Amino acid sequence: MDALLNLWQATGIANFTFPALIMIAVGCLLLYLAIARSFEPLLLLPIGFGAILTNIPVAGLSDPGGLLYYVYHIGIDTGVFPLLIFMGVGALTDFSALIANPRMLLLGAAAQFGIFATLFGAILLNYVPGFEFTLQDASAIAIIGGADGPTAIFLASKLAPDLLGAIAVAAYSYMALVPIIQPPIMRALTTPEERKIQMPQLRTVSKKEKIIFPLMVLTLTMLFLPAATPLVGMFCLGNLMRESGVVDRLSNSAQNEIINITTIFLGLAVGSKLAADKFLTVETLGILVLGALAFAIGTASGVFMAKGMNKFSKSPINPLVGAAGVSAVPMAARVVNKVGLESNPHNFLLMHAMGPNVAGVLGSAVAAGILLALVG
Amino acid sequence: MDIGQLLATAANLMITGMVGVFVFLSLLISAITIMSKLASRFEQPVIAPARTPSIKAPGVPSAHIAAISAAIAQYKNKQKL
Repeated sequence: MDALLNLWQATGIANFTFPALIMIAVGCLLLYLAIARSFEPLLLLPIGFGAILTNIPVAGLSDPGGLLYYVYHIGIDTGVFPLLIFMGVGALTDFSALIANPRMLLLGAAAQFGIFATLFGAILLNYVPGFEFTLQDASAIAIIGGADGPTAIFLASKLAPDLLGAIAVAAYSYMALVPIIQPPIMRALTTPEERKIQMPQLRTVSKKEKIIFPLMVLTLTMLFLPAATPLVGMFCLGNLMRESGVVDRLSNSAQNEIINITTIFLGLAVGSKLAADKFLTVETLGILVLGALAFAIGTASGVFMAKGMNKFSKSPINPLVGAAGVSAVPMAARVVNKVGLESNPHNFLLMHAMGPNVAGVLGSAVAAGILLALVG
Repeated sequence: MDIGQLLATAANLMITGMVGVFVFLSLLISAITIMSKLASRFEQPVIAPARTPSIKAPGVPSAHIAAISAAIAQYKNKQKL
């Protein structure tokens, strides 16, 4: 009889707590979004599964000694996983649209206002009872507005590891929602005439320029913002491997195998942070609201900047491309292209939007560096 | 630190942060512009590609050539489908 009782005590059914069940349901929701709705499936699937695994009673996958515990400490605590992903993103990114029209960097800079405005908003939320965000927490939450998963995870792991799960889930969910969040803002802030503006064809960029570019970005970061060199440095390494043309094998590995393997474990590790006591708080709700706000403000400030530049520039600039300043490569650029085509079926803005889009990646890495330097 | 102080710090951070991002990316703009200028200066002058020998054969009227090329183009298009 005792043995039977012990066996019962070892079952999951006897050990489930209500919060853990809710978190498993959240994990299932993420799986549903990934599989049935194709929302960032590459990340939400491992994150959702990680959330289920970590909340399984008795098994203790996230306790010291458990698999997810180690994956988290090796990959995210140290900041290694997001940086490996950034190397792959660098190897996947083609900067020619930006080198051909460098002024687009201003749009990538303007869209970062979403980050800094949200930082202010997160502190403002402290007036609501139940919220107690420190400056570090607020910075980590605000970086969701950078619309860049690895950067958000990197910064959150350094500044607010407790909020990492909620921040990563918010960042990736909103990145998947870019086609829903951005177009209404873009339409509201531009006139139909502005949306019809055609931009001149971009010049071709020589191989030499593409090779010098990552080295130049690294030099500038080294000189002015060393705090951003982990992110920017890995990014430039990946990009140099791509553009140099002499290490195609390494570049291909960075773009495929390494980024894929890292994505699996990064997702699992982020999912392991979706434990009930950390996630089922009013703060998570705040993070979700602030994240959406950060995206919206970033989009709007990008569009406003593009409008301003269009006024003073000799060559016309379609204000829509400003919305691509919030990185989220290449989804944001595709959204710009789509909204542009609605107004003028012959106006292909994709290449023009890629410039601010990759500028946004650099911009959010720089913003993360600034936050690390000032708050970390 | 009370919320008012935090807010002041956050506002400060917002301004420094945006100025920082803009200054850094503006530096990058000027660096790219200079680099592109230098790169184009040191670019080897592009050798004009040798002209493809004209297909005009003596004795074949140009109308025939046009007709034949049109027929070939049509055939190729059909093959694609």
